Amino acid sequence: MSLRLKLLLLGLATLVLPWDGIRYAREMEAALRESERHALQAVSETIAASLQGRMDLLYRNADESGPAGTGADDLTPLVLTASPYIDGYPDDWPRDRRAWRYFGAPPHRFGILTGIHDRMLYVLLEADDPNPVFDAPGANPLDSSALGDRIWIGYEDPQGIQQQVFLALTGAGPIIARRIEAGEYGEETAIEDPRVVGALQPQPGGYDVEIAMPLSMVGRQFGVLVDNRDQRGANPLSYGTLRSTDLHTLGRLIVASPSLTPYLAQFMQPGMRLSVSTPGGAVLAQSDELAVPGLLAAQPGVLTQFYRRFVDRRGEPQFIASGAPIFDAGHHALIGKLEVTQAANRFEGLRDRALTRMLDLTLVTSAIAVIVTFAFAARLAVRLSRLRRASESALTREGLVTQFPETAVPDELGDVARSFSRLLGRLNEYTGYLRSLAGKLAHEIRTPLTIVRSSLENLESEEVPSAARQYLERARQGSERLNAILVAMGAATRVEEAIGNAERARFDLTPVVASAVSAYGVAFPERRFATELPPEPLEIDGAPDLIVQLLDKLIDNAVDFSPPGATITVRLRREPTAAVLEVDNPGPPLVPEARGRLFESLWQSRSGSDSRPHFGLGLYIVRLIAEYHRGAVAAADLPTGEGARFGVWLPLADLPLLPNYNEKVKLESV
Amino acid sequence: MKRLIAIVEDEPAIRDNYAAAFTREGYVVRAYGNRAEAMAAFNARLPDLAVIDISLEDEPEGGFELCRQLRALSAELPIIFLTARDSELDAVSGLRLGADDFLTKDLSLAHLIARVNALFRRVDALRKPPGEETQMVRRGPLVLDGERMRVEWDGTVVLLSLTEFWIVHALARHPGHVKNRQQLMDAANVVLDDNTITSHIKRIRRKFQSIDPAFDALQTVYGMGYRWVE
Repeated sequence: MSLRLKLLLLGLATLVLPWDGIRYAREMEAALRESERHALQAVSETIAASLQGRMDLLYRNADESGPAGTGADDLTPLVLTASPYIDGYPDDWPRDRRAWRYFGAPPHRFGILTGIHDRMLYVLLEADDPNPVFDAPGANPLDSSALGDRIWIGYEDPQGIQQQVFLALTGAGPIIARRIEAGEYGEETAIEDPRVVGALQPQPGGYDVEIAMPLSMVGRQFGVLVDNRDQRGANPLSYGTLRSTDLHTLGRLIVASPSLTPYLAQFMQPGMRLSVSTPGGAVLAQSDELAVPGLLAAQPGVLTQFYRRFVDRRGEPQFIASGAPIFDAGHHALIGKLEVTQAANRFEGLRDRALTRMLDLTLVTSAIAVIVTFAFAARLAVRLSRLRRASESALTREGLVTQFPETAVPDELGDVARSFSRLLGRLNEYTGYLRSLAGKLAHEIRTPLTIVRSSLENLESEEVPSAARQYLERARQGSERLNAILVAMGAATRVEEAIGNAERARFDLTPVVASAVSAYGVAFPERRFATELPPEPLEIDGAPDLIVQLLDKLIDNAVDFSPPGATITVRLRREPTAAVLEVDNPGPPLVPEARGRLFESLWQSRSGSDSRPHFGLGLYIVRLIAEYHRGAVAAADLPTGEGARFGVWLPLADLPLLPNYNEKVKLESV
Repeated sequence: MKRLIAIVEDEPAIRDNYAAAFTREGYVVRAYGNRAEAMAAFNARLPDLAVIDISLEDEPEGGFELCRQLRALSAELPIIFLTARDSELDAVSGLRLGADDFLTKDLSLAHLIARVNALFRRVDALRKPPGEETQMVRRGPLVLDGERMRVEWDGTVVLLSLTEFWIVHALARHPGHVKNRQQLMDAANVVLDDNTITSHIKRIRRKFQSIDPAFDALQTVYGMGYRWVE
């Protein structure tokens, strides 16, 4: 893992900050919710206390004995949010089945749902009657022989007098409500009562009836009775909440006082629902503004919604509810229940703003931390890799120390760079010392050697016993060899000096190489020499003497490594920017460890003894001369693998030198 | 009368060995270890020939200075420089110091004595009145006097050292023929390595070119040697 990546991960660790923020937000939210719940409880208890003993406020008929026990025949209408359209279809009624009351027994049964809205009382009947019997069209509804199914509505009017209205079923569509009035002579007539409106729709196995009437007609009590006949005029099967004998009401109509809703409204806040129900649980009044968005709530932004996905817990209730019982004045009996519901996210906007701000802040902090860390890491990596490159290229393969970049950055990395620089400086001095050692050594040894040789020569002129002559001869031979060694040791130094004194001139390489090669046949009779020369002149700037010396050394090398009788090929060819001089010799391939070191001073792969001293200077001299000509050298195995090829690139005269010329040559050739 | 050879050499062992060799050859030898000592003696009496080491004790080029002072005393005194380093050969390019030959210490004693003898011969020849010119070689503007070891180019004397003289002599006698380095060394009666031969050739060219900038008679045949072209 790179340093850059590591530091990036380190920077990413600051992401724990927003994560902490989210956790904090969650906990804050939980606390907020809890306190909201407490506040709501307090609110509900306060309102419940204000309603204590206020039967008049709760119920329409406050003088009632009390709704403490809702009787089996009592009806508690739903508080409807809208008035149903009286068409016999129940689709505009609440779907909740719990408020239904059922009378009779299957297969003759009816369910009743009552509701009030806007001072109207609505009744929905769902009768199970496989065989509804309708009145004959146009028949007198009071003709007992033609009576069909009847629905009776009985109620106590505000004056406390029992009243009845009946609806004779006449098929699908509106049903007319009538009341029976006794005439002067006791005859009964059915008079249409327009205040009561009804409609019927047959259903499979029965029919539905919707009835609407003004609430003002009804006093305390209210009831519905169904007369179910098998055929017209038959004795009916009656069931419902009216006494079948005199059609007097059995149960009450439990309706909230008209002032309850306004009363509740004064406690209302947006996003809140207040509802008062009977002790039995039927809702009396409800003030609902839950759906109203909170004052502070605004449509959350995309970012906020994104944050919320992290903060919101799944399954969290959308509402918080709190209830409180309402007691009578004596605090003995329960007269109702109050429930307060509030949207849990009533302060969503406020919360979102805080959350967004906090998360924005932490995310920006994290992002800055990551960017800064990454930038730092990148800079560090750049500096480190610069240092690495510098230290890799500081030492050439020849052990030369090139320029090491100076740095003044006062940190540990700068210290490392400076130590490197110092280290390389010392290494450079040492390398320089070693490089000059051979030359100095040769020079220093020369004087004592001259003493030895001149002494031996003088000794030869003296009277020496013949037995001692052989020792004298051996000493002389030894000193000659020593001298040869010195000459070889000083060769590189002399070449360096020669290079220093060389005069640069423009000359054609081809005839120089051609004439030099023609001489090698004489010098090395055991080798054959082949040349491959270009037809055109190859002009370079340099010293022909040095080029010949270079070729001498390459030929020496080729001769040393090729078997007797081998053909050594000297090739001169033209490349776009350079003349290339190549010497191929058959023989063993280059030893692997020799690659890249062949042209170093004092390096040699030769083994075995040879009368000629070898210091591995030959190819080093080749390189010195090539570099004097701004060229480069390279060695490679022959394509056949049986021999080696040594190449020298010499830039042609008058051609602009490519800046990366040396690099290019090395890459291509080694 | 025995000839007097002065040897100025700071290394006592070499000095004594050279002195012994010259003495054996019948010369009278005076040996000196440094420049002051030698100059004092030269002021008293001039030798017939001086062999001077270039580096003298603490003076790396004390020999050059000594040569200059000696030449001031005598314009004709033969002087041989002994050098330990090839690089010094180039340092004394030209005969500006007036030395008659430059030899490296690699040279054997026998060769050294041969060169000294040759120098004395040249001095003697110069002193003789010009007689028959049997030893004369003429190649265009070049005139070689083998007897006096004198070289003229276009009538101007070219001051060549002994080694240089023999190199030119060997080449000019057979114009067009390539002489390799070994042949040149044999002709000059010296043992020198290739670089030293190259140095001599360069110096010879420079000396001729100082008289005639268009001089191009001494050519290099790369890989083979040198030749004289008319």
